[in-house]
Amino acid sequence: MSPTGTASGPARPGWTLRRLLSARNLVVAAATALALLLPLFGSNFFVEFVMTRTMILGIAAATIVFLAAYGGMISLAQYLLAGVAGFMVGNAVVAQDAWSKGLKLGWNPWVAVLFALAVTTAVAFVLGALASRTTGIYFLMITLTYAVIGYYVFGSITPLSGFGGITGIDPPGLFEDHPVRMYLALVVLSVLVYVSFRVLAATPFGLALQGIRDDPVRMASLGFNVSLHRTLAFTLAGFTAGLAGVFNVWWNGQIDPTSISIGPTLDLLIVAVIGGTLSLEGAWLGAFVFVAANNYLRNLPLVDHIGITEARFNTIVGVLVLLIMILSPDGLAGIIERVRKGLHRLFQPPPGPGSTPAEAAAGSP
Amino acid sequence: MSTDAAAAASAERHGSLLSLEAVVVAFGGLQALGGVDLQVSQGDRLALLGPNGAGKTTLFNVIAGDIKPTSGRVTIKGIDCTELPARFRPRLGVARTYQKTRLFRGLTVEDNLYLAQTGRSGRHLALLRSGVDAEFRDRARAMAETVWLADVVGTTAGDLSHGQQRQLEIGMALVTGPEFVMLDEPASGLSRGERERLVQLLLSLDRDITLLLIEHDMDVALRAAHRVVVMNEGHTVASGTPTEIRVDPLVHAIYLGSEAGLGGADP
Repeated sequence: MSPTGTASGPARPGWTLRRLLSARNLVVAAATALALLLPLFGSNFFVEFVMTRTMILGIAAATIVFLAAYGGMISLAQYLLAGVAGFMVGNAVVAQDAWSKGLKLGWNPWVAVLFALAVTTAVAFVLGALASRTTGIYFLMITLTYAVIGYYVFGSITPLSGFGGITGIDPPGLFEDHPVRMYLALVVLSVLVYVSFRVLAATPFGLALQGIRDDPVRMASLGFNVSLHRTLAFTLAGFTAGLAGVFNVWWNGQIDPTSISIGPTLDLLIVAVIGGTLSLEGAWLGAFVFVAANNYLRNLPLVDHIGITEARFNTIVGVLVLLIMILSPDGLAGIIERVRKGLHRLFQPPPGPGSTPAEAAAGSP
Repeated sequence: MSTDAAAAASAERHGSLLSLEAVVVAFGGLQALGGVDLQVSQGDRLALLGPNGAGKTTLFNVIAGDIKPTSGRVTIKGIDCTELPARFRPRLGVARTYQKTRLFRGLTVEDNLYLAQTGRSGRHLALLRSGVDAEFRDRARAMAETVWLADVVGTTAGDLSHGQQRQLEIGMALVTGPEFVMLDEPASGLSRGERERLVQLLLSLDRDITLLLIEHDMDVALRAAHRVVVMNEGHTVASGTPTEIRVDPLVHAIYLGSEAGLGGADP
């Protein structure tokens, strides 16, 4: 349906209703509606713990997917950037007289958010400017190095991180003691992030980013500043990861260097891989599978029976990732796409031999 | 002969567009270019011939800014471009294609042709569409028609056939509205009919457009060019009109003689 839709009209249709009502958009809209209505029938634990964490990880993983799918860059620094935002919020909001550590600036929580996002964006710009000169596996390795350096920087500068981390970080009054509100805010933010990334992909900036993904050499010879473009995309992804980091620290109420160490960094990559690094929807799907496996799989009687205890959760996730990678390098989103195409073929009569060129020819003036 | 005279007249009118002075490129111990001098005037149609490894593509990459010469000078429109990175070439009106197609394989034909224009204009950092974009889109579709891709404007570039990808490659160079076009083996892998269309396209280009062409297909090269420069082992060894080059004994010895089917190129 969609390929003929784009080929048949030489004039670009723009944001017509028909394009907006694609199967993909309808599924996303239905999932959003379900997520918004969930507090009406879901258990407290499911909404305030499982789904809230899913949304936070989903937004953070979406920044990995955005960079990978549109920019061809796999970044391992996204959790670090979320952590930078978290540490900034922690240092800024905890009051001077509180029994906690860190700078204890005692700022208004919303001012703290602006401050945290500004710092995170600036850090992302600098890190991006250095990393954007590399591609592929080298980009991945440089961003992995960032994650490791970040962990040690926060671990060593104890005035910024406290010895055992910063505790007692309260969210603003709007969310304090209202976990459902925080959940709903995260759903809305997730939708905003998702829609923004998709709209961005169709802008001149987003198209150029995809051009750089496909062939940076050609882009340079066409007059594009490739590394600046990559840097700006990385900065934008860093800002968005910062948003996830702010909610993460509000939700946890504390942050310490271990929470941005290599373990959580790789967890976030696993989330993106489970969902599929080429599909934005996959970020939230992967986050849900990861969080659900983390919370429910270890309680299954069978799992107990064969001796997989909490300490062996990584084994379960490892096997899960391995299976998904073998079945579909594009993650769960890739599997869903293949099932969809299979069903489509099953219910759609095979096209006649000459139909596609005929349709294409009919479209040309 | 009349076309040669016209080219000479045009050269006199416009003066030098590209000038290479003693350009040397060494990759480690291998000297790919051993001091090449070349003058190209505006409106020139110049073909570079030579056997594989003669240094033609290296020379291209030096002119396009992808390789910095070990020594020597590159001047385009009177501006010293020796140290200038590739991305500043389009502002001087330079556009090039690649021997191995370099397309945005994940994007549609139209998006490829659209993106090719935005780099020069600085529009690629824009987050909103504007009237300029509509103009670029129109020009992209018009160029798709020019390079016989009107039927597949919505097709992803990676899904095109080899011939169509070569056509898109040329379209992406022409759509930028260049003054100086460099084509690296545009006819490679094309069928006889497609090559004929390519020649017609090159002959139909605006007279003011300067063309630098690397081509192994003698028929295409000698018909599209007014002037031919022959390279061998990193040096220019002969230069002249297509008619002169056809009969040059040195050229026959180093290049034409090595191709058994050459007789077919003569009319």
